[in-house]
Amino acid sequence: MITLENVTKVYKTGTVAVKDLTFEITKGEFVFIVGASGAGKSTLMSLILREELPDKGRIWVAGRDLARLPHWRVPYLRRNIGCVFQDFRLLSNKTVFENVAFALQVIGRPRHQIERQVPQVLELVGLGNKMRDLPEELSGGEQQRVAIARAFVNRPLILIADEPTGNLDPTTSKGIVQLLDRVNKTGTTVVVATHDASIVNTMRKRVLELDNGEVVRDQSRGVYDVELDDSSAQPVGARSKGRRGTVLR
Amino acid sequence: MAVPMNFVAREAGSNLWRNRLMTVAAILTVAVSLSLVGAALFLRQGVSNATTEWQHGVSVIVWFHPSSSITEQRAVGDELAQLSYVKSCAYRTQTDNYNQGKKYLNGLLGSASSAVTPAVTPASDNCVLKNPDEAGAIAAAFRNQPGVRNVSYPSQAIHNMENVTRTVQLAFLIVALVLLASASALIVNTIRLAIFSRRKEVSVMKLVGATNWFIRIPFMLEGLVQGVAGAVVAGLVVLGLDWRLNAASAGHFTSTLYKMRLTGGEVVLIIVAVGIVGLLVGTLGSAFAIRRFLDT
Ligand SMILES: Nc1ncnc2c1ncn2[C@@H]1O[C@H](COP(=O)(O)OP(=O)(O)OP(=O)(O)O)[C@@H](O)[C@H]1O
Ligand SMILES: [Mg+2]
Repeated sequence: MITLENVTKVYKTGTVAVKDLTFEITKGEFVFIVGASGAGKSTLMSLILREELPDKGRIWVAGRDLARLPHWRVPYLRRNIGCVFQDFRLLSNKTVFENVAFALQVIGRPRHQIERQVPQVLELVGLGNKMRDLPEELSGGEQQRVAIARAFVNRPLILIADEPTGNLDPTTSKGIVQLLDRVNKTGTTVVVATHDASIVNTMRKRVLELDNGEVVRDQSRGVYDVELDDSSAQPVGARSKGRRGTVLR
Repeated sequence: MAVPMNFVAREAGSNLWRNRLMTVAAILTVAVSLSLVGAALFLRQGVSNATTEWQHGVSVIVWFHPSSSITEQRAVGDELAQLSYVKSCAYRTQTDNYNQGKKYLNGLLGSASSAVTPAVTPASDNCVLKNPDEAGAIAAAFRNQPGVRNVSYPSQAIHNMENVTRTVQLAFLIVALVLLASASALIVNTIRLAIFSRRKEVSVMKLVGATNWFIRIPFMLEGLVQGVAGAVVAGLVVLGLDWRLNAASAGHFTSTLYKMRLTGGEVVLIIVAVGIVGLLVGTLGSAFAIRRFLDT
């Protein structure tokens, strides 16, 4: 679903944000991207979204070679990728329903489809009774659920989340990650960049650790910090290049 | 891709309202500049009508006494033909001139015009000059020839008028161009403001995969509304000019103003031209404003 081959991104400022990244995420996987601040997690997300192009290497997303994707096709790529961010990015002048409906309106979906799918997805995220509320009338966790509903309403192949629990307390965070897990169970590939050790440790999903823009760990059923539990730790160098941890499952 | 028009119209409408001060400023600037463009076109058409109206480019008319003989008339005609600065002359019979002048006479004299018959109307030699400035010389040379009643050179006044209006027109057009440029800048600015006040919406649109055209169209519609609204005001100004000209020249059938009068078709054409300029300034201005923003 997502394949990177020797991907390097250098910003105009000269910062090498990611360096020689090579990995593959297959359809239906749930992956945590972890690493210290500045490790390159958000850069990786914008590369997948084709907000940035790599300086070296190649990226395939949903079967498409991003370097060869013409400008006008980029919106169609993004329809296959749902996005969730730390700051929710909801429109404050629109209700919960309208926020989710907006994602379908702007890709030209017909009204009857919107009226069917939006309540459905809001029900899925547990906000069926808050459709008429404005975002400011909701808690942070509820706002993030709306954002997930918006990202998921078009049934994307991939859902990427950049620090989705960064603004939430531990209990709420857990609920959000469980929701992401539900989304994953529908067959959507989920990629979550996070600082949040507890959610990584409870979920025990595949973990990709970045350090200074390089993959330093690729671990299936992994934990946030390899020092805490190295029962299944797998330094990247110990495996053949480009292989994933799924073989270990 | 199908763009739902009610969605687009709602977006554009709410933006225009949110930035109504800038919107009004942009519309006014477009209106003023397009009014000048319209006035320049109007003036040009009027002058061109005045010059071609029934003179058909004739610079000098030698009028013969109704009682003059054919021989006298022929002598004058031969002499005119030999002059190097005369391009061509056309002989108009008494009946020709009667028919030509009738409508002016009717307006001028009313029922009294029935006293005018072809028999009392002069015949004439209507000449086109290579250099209209020589008209005065011809008048002096032929005025006292036998059989000649008088020599008129109506084009001289028009020639002078043309020089003046050409300057005025140029001034109008230069001012109009400067104003059009500032109108475009204002439109670009209002659209930028609109994009800025909705940058979050636009970023969400890009995120969920709205095409560039989908994002662009509400803003372009907004610019189009501004451009066309300005053009409508300018169109009214052109109509007002037409009304003023008609009112001022009413009854003065031989006046230059009367000769300048525009036909309905000419007025419509000018308004359409002004409308097209307004439309282009509005849509292209807004397309330019979003261009940089959408470059991904
Ligand atoms: N637009 C940019 N221009 C220049 N440098 C940038 C840009 N974005 C990120 N960087 C740099 O690239 C490096 C990686 O940044 P990135 O945002 O990918 O890290 P991150 O892992 O997401 O960090 P955090 O956990 O704090 O969000 C950092 O050194 C950062 O300063
Ligand atoms: Mg980040």
